[in-house]
Amino acid sequence: MKAFANVNPRDLKDAVRKLGQPNAVPVGGGSDLLGMVKEHLVEPDVLVHLKAVKGADVISWHSPARGLFIGGLVTLAELSSVALVRKNYAVLAEAAESVGTPQIRNVGTLAGNICQRPWCWYYRNGFPCFKAGGKQCFSITGENQFHAIFGGGPSFIVHPSDTAPALVALDAQISITGPSGTRQVPAAKFFALPRVDPARENVLAKDEIVAAVRLPDAKPNTRSTYHKILDREAWTHAVVSVAVVLEMNQQVCNRASVVLGGVAPVPWPLPKVEALLAGQRITPELAARAGEVALEGANPLAKNAYKVPLTKAVVRRTILELATKA
Amino acid sequence: MGKISRRRFVEGTGAGLVATTVPLKGQTAARKAAGVPRTTIKVTVNGTKHTVEVEDRWTLAEVLRDHLGLTGSKIGCDRGECGACTVLLDGKNVYSCSQLAVWADGRTIQTVEGLAQNGKLDPLQEAFIQHDGPQCGFCTSGQLMSAKALLNRNPHPNADEVRHAMTGNICRCGNYNHYVESVLAAAGTLSADARRKA
Amino acid sequence: MNSLNTVGHPTSRIDAQKRVTGTATYTGDLRLPGMLYARVLRSPHPHARIRRIDLSKAQSLPGVKTILTHENCDVIWGSGDMRNKRYLFNNPVRFAGDAVAAVAAVDRHTAEEAMRLIDVDYEKLPFVLDPEDALKSGAPEIQPGGNLSANARGAHEPESYRRGNIDQGLAAADRVFEDHYSSPHINNAQLEPRVAIAQWEGDRLTVFTPTQGISNCHTEIARDLKLAPEKVRVVCQFMGGGFGNKNQNHDFELMAAMLAKNAGAPVKIEFTRKEDFLSVHGRWPTKQYYKVGVKNDGTLTAMQLRGYSGMGPYRKGSGGIEGMAIYQCPNVERVVSPVYTNKAVSANLRGPDYPQGVFGIESLMDDIAYTLKMDPLEFRLKNMTRKFQDQLEYTSIGLEECLRKGAEAFDWKSRWHAQPGAGAGPIKRGAGMAMGSFFSNMGRSSAVIDLDSGGMYHVHVGVTDIGTAAKTTMALIAAEELGVPLEKIDVIWGDTGRCPYSVGESGSRTTTHTGWAVVQAAQDLKKQIAEKGLPKGNDILTASVNTNPETIAGKARYSFVAHFAEVEVDTELGHVKVIKYVAAHDSGRVVNPLTAESQVKGGATMGIGMALHEELLYDRASGIALNAGYYGARIMTHLDTPEVEVHWIQTEDPYGPFGAKTLGEPTIIPSPAAVANAIYNAIGKRVKDLPITRDKILGVLA
Repeated sequence: MKAFANVNPRDLKDAVRKLGQPNAVPVGGGSDLLGMVKEHLVEPDVLVHLKAVKGADVISWHSPARGLFIGGLVTLAELSSVALVRKNYAVLAEAAESVGTPQIRNVGTLAGNICQRPWCWYYRNGFPCFKAGGKQCFSITGENQFHAIFGGGPSFIVHPSDTAPALVALDAQISITGPSGTRQVPAAKFFALPRVDPARENVLAKDEIVAAVRLPDAKPNTRSTYHKILDREAWTHAVVSVAVVLEMNQQVCNRASVVLGGVAPVPWPLPKVEALLAGQRITPELAARAGEVALEGANPLAKNAYKVPLTKAVVRRTILELATKA
Repeated sequence: MGKISRRRFVEGTGAGLVATTVPLKGQTAARKAAGVPRTTIKVTVNGTKHTVEVEDRWTLAEVLRDHLGLTGSKIGCDRGECGACTVLLDGKNVYSCSQLAVWADGRTIQTVEGLAQNGKLDPLQEAFIQHDGPQCGFCTSGQLMSAKALLNRNPHPNADEVRHAMTGNICRCGNYNHYVESVLAAAGTLSADARRKA
Repeated sequence: MNSLNTVGHPTSRIDAQKRVTGTATYTGDLRLPGMLYARVLRSPHPHARIRRIDLSKAQSLPGVKTILTHENCDVIWGSGDMRNKRYLFNNPVRFAGDAVAAVAAVDRHTAEEAMRLIDVDYEKLPFVLDPEDALKSGAPEIQPGGNLSANARGAHEPESYRRGNIDQGLAAADRVFEDHYSSPHINNAQLEPRVAIAQWEGDRLTVFTPTQGISNCHTEIARDLKLAPEKVRVVCQFMGGGFGNKNQNHDFELMAAMLAKNAGAPVKIEFTRKEDFLSVHGRWPTKQYYKVGVKNDGTLTAMQLRGYSGMGPYRKGSGGIEGMAIYQCPNVERVVSPVYTNKAVSANLRGPDYPQGVFGIESLMDDIAYTLKMDPLEFRLKNMTRKFQDQLEYTSIGLEECLRKGAEAFDWKSRWHAQPGAGAGPIKRGAGMAMGSFFSNMGRSSAVIDLDSGGMYHVHVGVTDIGTAAKTTMALIAAEELGVPLEKIDVIWGDTGRCPYSVGESGSRTTTHTGWAVVQAAQDLKKQIAEKGLPKGNDILTASVNTNPETIAGKARYSFVAHFAEVEVDTELGHVKVIKYVAAHDSGRVVNPLTAESQVKGGATMGIGMALHEELLYDRASGIALNAGYYGARIMTHLDTPEVEVHWIQTEDPYGPFGAKTLGEPTIIPSPAAVANAIYNAIGKRVKDLPITRDKILGVLA
């Protein structure tokens, strides 16, 4: 590995200050970042070790108005096991539980998971692509079986995070701390398409960090789930995933939130599906219709057309199973 | 081949064994490269406190293996993809290849060398021997440590819980059936054999 | 079968305690005083001429001791290519991953930094990845003489086998079936990456290396470095798997030796996991075109294969495609072209010629059975081999019993359905089976047993124990033949300075070859004891045996296997789960049922991964592999692995140690085919290209 200095910030403000040093990068659990440093995809001089910050790894409930506070350094293992999260925000707990392996979840953080760089094999193998600061996406004419069917261009990566679609579906707010203080950004606006900046996947500035995530109070009769398709039974990123939140009134869905993962460079919300479901009784037919509507506008590449029927089935089944479960 | 049959040769240690007994201090005093940041950390490993000066870029696996002489943890991929380097960090199983040693400052580590207590093997180790868990053995330390983390929090798991808890540990020899069997045996839950096969 | 005292009883490994306490010493765990660390710089291009290498920046980095390139090292790695000269560092480089330079420095980070400071000027050359494309006129020439690799006689011709008359056989058929299949490059992916330590003491070289065969590694290192064999010692105490890619000597051992010589210090060379995937070797990718003639009653009249194997740019393995041998058929033609390509090198991986070939032929035979409205099991019982190549008697054959008892244990009749894809609902179940065979010949090996006055028997054998429990097997065989308890046996292994010749742990030969030598040595020792009495004081009785059993006249010795798989396919998600798996094996007498069961479970598991996941995938535009490593290869995990039920068909075989036949490799042979046939039974559509991934399943169902 290239030589670098590890620095332990006292608090978030200090972390931001330390990030201001030349060629400094933040690190949470480190699983992904260290691999990238070993592959020379990232060549930092300074690692700002966020886990040294005290109190950045707490989950706390304040009031219905303020909702649930989740520190950015909360681990995925913690997130998937805390009863409050499992009960009221199952989609997030399940998403966290679907990441990597127990060893990764024991150190991996929520902030790190949503800020994870793409796992496109061209990027990870050192091709000079958009994500590496280049001017090309090699997947377009190459091996694109795991690439985007929505929102692609000029880069066709898919966003690698499992918790990201869950956060968007839950209308989470992302707390971002930077040199001038903390700002709140809705999760849906945190992630940015490649046409905004093809080298990046979100709106974080270089010296900003994800400090926390806030989830709005869970409405009564809300149920949620995360369904992930993997290419072996563990430790792959989502081929396709869906985060679904349903506010139910008996058999009728008052409000739905449906967000896809693994199909676009950002978590991909499905407003038309949400509109279709709102105020309706969820029947097998309606769920099937939701699957069809979900894939409107899909634009597959040469080798990922299978994601279209796959995603339809995942959307249909997940919505129906969630709506009809006892 | 007559020569090799001499008794003294049989008793002599092979060079392989000699090599492991070379004092480890030589390595700790290795060249300090100019401009390479270093930090002194304190870690408790298998109950023993160590103060070690490390390069910031050294992984925990590297320090355990190359500088503390604890070579039981293996490096199979160095990327958090195989699990051979698994150790317990404050009781939780982690990939020591994907943690920097500096991040372990002030923390407690248990490696495979710390499983046996007072010369008595851990029940997991006994079961791994009985049920032929290790084939080539290179993933075994990691499998043991993930199993240990599981049994520490769930002393009586079923087969499915074992598989989930150990799924971050690859065995290319493919001896997963025997590993699961071993863990269930150690936990006293193997008798529900029908469930294992279900 | 008669019961024995020690052999045949489930026994824990004699070194098991070391393996579970972290005290088993693997090569990477060793450290020598003053040892340097080495890393290798590799070509990023699939085919390129090196115009210039500038080492100046790397050499001036403090801590760098020596650097090797093609300009200052002309060592030929003899086992790296059995047809052409393959140097440690080649110019031109012929695949992305070909070694360009090796650097030794005071620690591994410095070596790596130096490696990245080497400036190489490449002239990119045209490249070709597909073996059939490589044979087209105008394809880039990868080795002199053309891309069809020369055979053993030096002729650039395919490897062929013929019996009967294929045209007559096809003409005699009621129906002729024609189809084609493919399989990809798959990495061995053994957990232990490559690492070696070389140490010179004067003109004597010791190499610590994880090798499957200390003896062949030893003689080949001596050959390649032009040293007298007695000047070289190879030590391997524990090794972390290999599955065929740690046999013979390897470039990294030679590099370590040359670096150590230049630097005047011991050198430890380490490959990363990615290097292990890209620059060593994996299973050869194949394309298989079959024609099979059959009578309406299901009798085979002709089998023809035209196959192509991608060898990478160096011919390190046979490139064979085998599978038709499990069928009885009067007219057979097999023509396989081992072809140079600019992909990673291909050579042995568990059952080298077989699993991909069995996948092809067993997929086609399955289709034939369905078309003829025959139960695939009955079709195989009808057509299975009865004599080797329809000519030689087998020394023992339990194939029919493997089929029948395996089917019974699996409950084939209720799990298999005559109408494939008939299940209601999106989640469908299906059952499939396949069979295989693997040579189990006898051959040269050696063993030395010393008896001391304390009553300990010291068994010296040149095994390294790749994970098969070979040491324990040798101990069991010795204890049995000597008639003493296992505790009285001390095995000395893995060091050419202390052990006699043993066949490399490849071809599943250790039990039959070296085990037989142990039997012979034990018999000799017993005779000596009878003549001279037990040794006293400092005396030692020694029995030393070199055996080279002649080929068994007029007979062929083979192991047999049948595997049965049930899968559940989610036809909307393209997802496959193996839910039941039965493996029936005729490996003659099973020396140690405990560790033998591990072999079967492991081989079947690896085969399921081959069926469903594994492929080293290349970017066609750049010739660079995209998914090296455990994550990319989707290696089977705990959660992917079904319970594998093992059944032994212990035929009485008059040869080998107590009638033991081969085991390790047959375990993977029918596995990919059994899973593929189960998927067909479930969904009624056939995927003919391995691996059978989600996109392909959804593709054939679309």
